[in-house]
Amino acid sequence: MTGRWRALLRLYAVQGAWNYERMLGVGMGYAAEPLLADLAAADPVRHSEAVVRSAEFFNCNPNLAGLALGATVRAEYLGVPGDQVARLRTALCSPLGALGDQLFWAGVVPALIGATIVGAVVGLKLAAVVTFLIVYNLFRLTVGGWSLSTGLASGAAVGHAIASSWLPRWSARIGAYAAFSIGVAAPVAAGWFLHGYAWRGTAGALGVALTGILLGRLWGRTFTAVRFALVAMGTALLLRWVIGFL
Amino acid sequence: MSGIGIETLLFLITWGTIVGLDLVSVPQAMLARPIVAASMTGWLLHDVDAGLRVGVLLELFALDVLPIGAVRYPDYGAAAVAATALAVGAPWELGLGVSTALGLLLAVVGGWTLQWLRRANADAIQRHVAALAAGESRAIRRLQYGGVARDAARSALLTLVGLGLASWAGRDLRPDRLTAEVLTLVAIGAGSAAAVNGAIRGAGHGLRLRWLGAGLAGGALVALLR
Repeated sequence: MTGRWRALLRLYAVQGAWNYERMLGVGMGYAAEPLLADLAAADPVRHSEAVVRSAEFFNCNPNLAGLALGATVRAEYLGVPGDQVARLRTALCSPLGALGDQLFWAGVVPALIGATIVGAVVGLKLAAVVTFLIVYNLFRLTVGGWSLSTGLASGAAVGHAIASSWLPRWSARIGAYAAFSIGVAAPVAAGWFLHGYAWRGTAGALGVALTGILLGRLWGRTFTAVRFALVAMGTALLLRWVIGFL
Repeated sequence: MSGIGIETLLFLITWGTIVGLDLVSVPQAMLARPIVAASMTGWLLHDVDAGLRVGVLLELFALDVLPIGAVRYPDYGAAAVAATALAVGAPWELGLGVSTALGLLLAVVGGWTLQWLRRANADAIQRHVAALAAGESRAIRRLQYGGVARDAARSALLTLVGLGLASWAGRDLRPDRLTAEVLTLVAIGAGSAAAVNGAIRGAGHGLRLRWLGAGLAGGALVALLR
């Protein structure tokens, strides 16, 4: 297995030692190890310095970490001064975090999850879930491979390579698909659950939903969905107990 | 979940561990999504429908969260496994509310254990700081494997506790029919609110919000026609 493939596989565990001190830093150092192997023979001092830099603080979306990994490794091989490599790494944190989070967490993941919910509810059941896993992971593997290759090919010019690629355009577009997908999935799922209930049951659930939406809009930061659910369930239990007692 | 054999229990703990690892450490293949974790658990326990019901409902809650950066979020993986184990075999109208309550509580506890994990990883770095400064690849590998091992232990323990609670709830926690149905309806309402709130927050303003509105209208129409 080549160093590039080993690095790509290791990127799947880039958050394996995630912490508040270096965030992805250790995982990046772990993924960089096979790529830096040739440098150890050519220039042991430079290799040692590169290993130190590779495990320092770093944070971005893990699915785009390959861009930073490839770019910094290429810069190390080209003999770019160490402080410039460190600056490149730091400079990549925010854009790769923002683009990756937009593309994955606010885009592809909710878009596919919404479609999966609808698929499972309309009768595909487990097939919808399996399809989701296959589609998502094929996409992620493709993006991961592209990221590492682009980073390795671009080096310090990776910023230009990112800006001229599909990534910024699709990161901006995918959110609309995600919003539509979740928009469809939420009422379809609620309808699936409430099918067969009498109007009182349906009205009760819708009342809870509207209360939750209102409270979430007003005090969403402190009154999270989980807290609301647990409080609502506790209140329902209390009312049942009081009514039963009376 | 009464009556499951030791082999099935070991399968569930293994699955819960894999799911827990998947959330952050490795491989982030979306196995930790509630709809995946729960439906696969239902399949393991020969009750796919129960797994899907629990999975879809917990997924609605999970859609409220954007797990970005250093944000704190619940861990729905092991929670979904335990909640499904509690739900299997029972009529879903009676079991879904209690299972969801268990799942949400475990998800919150799972979120707390993630904070512990992150602090433990930082402590480990402090212990190896000299080796890291010297550029020792071995220290990086040790930290990496240690982090994954800690997460595996965390996930396994969380799953074990969850399954223990599910076993206890299935045996001793038996609300009357009406109470169980009310809990299920409240859980459905709260889950729907969570998904909509998450979508509104994610959509922000402008085009995305309009797409969300179109989706909600279309989804409501589909729900009414089915």
